Amino acid sequence: MSLLKYIWRNIRRNKIRSLLTILSVAFSLSLMTVLYGFMASQETWKNAASLANRVVVMNVQGFSGKVPIAMVDDVRSIDGVKAAVPYSWFGGTLQEEKMPFAQFATDPEQVFQVWPDLKIPDDQLKVFRENRRGCVVDRRIAEKRGWKIGERILLKGTFYPVNLDLELVGIFDSAKNTDSLWFNWTYLDESLRAMKNDAGGNAGTIFARIQEAAEIPAVIKAIDDRSASSETPTRSQTEAAFAQMFVDMLGNVQVMIRLIGLLVVLCLTLVAANSMAMAMRERVTEIAVLKAIGFSRRRVMVLVLGEAFLVSFLGGTLGVGMGCGLLHLMHLALPQQFPFTIIEMMGPWISYGFFVAGGIGLVSGLIPAFNASRLSVINGLRRVA
Amino acid sequence: MIPAKYNLRNLKVRWVTTLMTVVSTGLVVMAAVLVFGLVDGLEHALQVSGHPLDLIVVRKGSTDEISSGLQQQVSREVASLPGIAKDENGRPLCSVELATILTKPRRNKGGTTNLIIRGLEDVGRRLRPGFKITQGRDLKPGVNEAITSRQMAERFENLRMGEKLLINHDEFTIVGYFESDGSSAESEVWMDLRDLATARRTPELTTSVSLRAQDAASADALIAQLSDDKRFQLSAIPEVKYFEDQLRQSSFIKYIGYFIAAFLTFGAMFAAANTMYAAVASRGREIGTLRALGFSRFSILSSFLFESVLLCLMGGLLGCLATLPFNGLSTGTANFASFSEITFSFRFGPRVLIQGVMLALIMGLLGGLLPALRAVRLNIIDALRER
Repeated sequence: MSLLKYIWRNIRRNKIRSLLTILSVAFSLSLMTVLYGFMASQETWKNAASLANRVVVMNVQGFSGKVPIAMVDDVRSIDGVKAAVPYSWFGGTLQEEKMPFAQFATDPEQVFQVWPDLKIPDDQLKVFRENRRGCVVDRRIAEKRGWKIGERILLKGTFYPVNLDLELVGIFDSAKNTDSLWFNWTYLDESLRAMKNDAGGNAGTIFARIQEAAEIPAVIKAIDDRSASSETPTRSQTEAAFAQMFVDMLGNVQVMIRLIGLLVVLCLTLVAANSMAMAMRERVTEIAVLKAIGFSRRRVMVLVLGEAFLVSFLGGTLGVGMGCGLLHLMHLALPQQFPFTIIEMMGPWISYGFFVAGGIGLVSGLIPAFNASRLSVINGLRRVA
Repeated sequence: MIPAKYNLRNLKVRWVTTLMTVVSTGLVVMAAVLVFGLVDGLEHALQVSGHPLDLIVVRKGSTDEISSGLQQQVSREVASLPGIAKDENGRPLCSVELATILTKPRRNKGGTTNLIIRGLEDVGRRLRPGFKITQGRDLKPGVNEAITSRQMAERFENLRMGEKLLINHDEFTIVGYFESDGSSAESEVWMDLRDLATARRTPELTTSVSLRAQDAASADALIAQLSDDKRFQLSAIPEVKYFEDQLRQSSFIKYIGYFIAAFLTFGAMFAAANTMYAAVASRGREIGTLRALGFSRFSILSSFLFESVLLCLMGGLLGCLATLPFNGLSTGTANFASFSEITFSFRFGPRVLIQGVMLALIMGLLGGLLPALRAVRLNIIDALRER
């Protein structure tokens, strides 16, 4: 019979042991898949951002600094800038929910030019531009909360001491979940001025769309030069770098994940090796018989290695499958932390699980395979069943 | 009951298998304890920061200091309220502060993140647990000096002694390191209140007032008084609650930690079960003999369970010991509540280590249960007949 059949038969002989080893590998590798998937989603965010040719302008001191609204006009006047809008984080609460979705104050005139991949019906956009209290949301939010056009949305301010009374005038479609609500910056500013609060006049950040990717470095320099000697110097960067900043905030998390990954791989290698060693101990006579009837040393090694590899690989397949399943569940349950589906995140990282499983299989099978090939036929046969 | 010596001898005889299982269990427990230690370190940094009698006064509606904004004269009025504890010179333990975040680069190309800078006056130091200068000296107001913790100095550029931190167009020289019982203060850079307000070109701005109440009743009275006051629009949050809320926002990390630990435990459990199944399979004759000698089914069951638990506990002990080199290692991550960096140390206190040992115990019990049951159900005659 063929080698594969023989290997498969052997695996099925001790079903419990094989199953336990496979499950062990599967659980650990599904964990690794989820963790690496999390890291991959950060990369995907960055890659998606780098395609869009957008630049983010913030105060050089960070989020606590002001970007005067007048800067938006300055940015618009720079060569190469197609459109620019203020983009101010509001962070309000919706009834009892502390962070229902992202809320940004922006300029309805140009915002859909800065994000051209978001689609909104023309009539709704017109109303958004005319109705100062109007707001638009991602379709997914509207569907999740059962909101229709005309819905009244009340947001209590935490960061800003004002409450917003908004009317839903438009729903936009986007390929990936933006989980955002956009409203009119002027409305926010007027509300702040009415309270005589001096937090007014702050654009927060400015998002600008650049005509050509090649022009981005020049535009960034032009923006920062213009504000350099003012009271509010700015720091501009590509959207990808901006996204990277958030990833950087997590700090050593990436290091920790890799460390845990390493430990898991070491552990699994031991587990699989233990399992193979136990199996081989029982089959000493069998191996001796195989060698007696003519199987070469190499063949015997291949048999043992093949078995170790297959068991591990099966575990790896199951593990990656479970991991992807879990990632999908998390994408549905926590769209803010896991904004992408598996398809969008597809990349080499998924194959890591398979490679690791295969590697573990081979490494764990090495010593038992070596011992089996070196087994003296006489001694092996001497062990009476 | 079968004496424990039986199990110990068996483990010793099959020492290769025993070793491999102990090491793999150990690795899993080590990974789990590291994760628990990380979470515990983060929790400790946030918990120890809250004194039961301290209140943080911010603008009404704000949930944290960074987003709050108060006029200087309003903040100063708070000091005249009744019920505030006084220091030995009769001055109220009430500190007007300006806390904000700066985006600054980490060392070793670790990217940039937000760090908290706090402008405060002398009295603020009294309100932090165990504040003391460990190196250099405290800052002098009026000359743009700053102090920070050793961990921050090592993690961020421009924060070592003698180096200068740029805020707006002004440079602040670091003149000393302080420590504060591992609390959140050690994730901040401090300077004089007026110096900072001037550098930010916002001379009248403050963000919060930190004060200590005389006793619990005064604390409650102050909270009520401030929330009722229509003129100033302030709210007083007990410090303990303030940090608890921050903790809750970081609980994301805690759940991830438990998730990781649970998966790892399952993985190792199957490994332990594997070992025990093999043990039972190869000791058929022994089990038959023991039964024939008169040992009850229950004693066989418990003996195998004991062996499995012993195996895993040894691994657990090894795993816990392996985490000791990490103890006290400080690291940092994002505190999403204040949107800034918080540094903390790994803490492997008794609770974390016990959690690790419990995991090992669970692995042993659950992993060894089914094999032990199989051992028990062997027919005596068949068992004695085995090889």
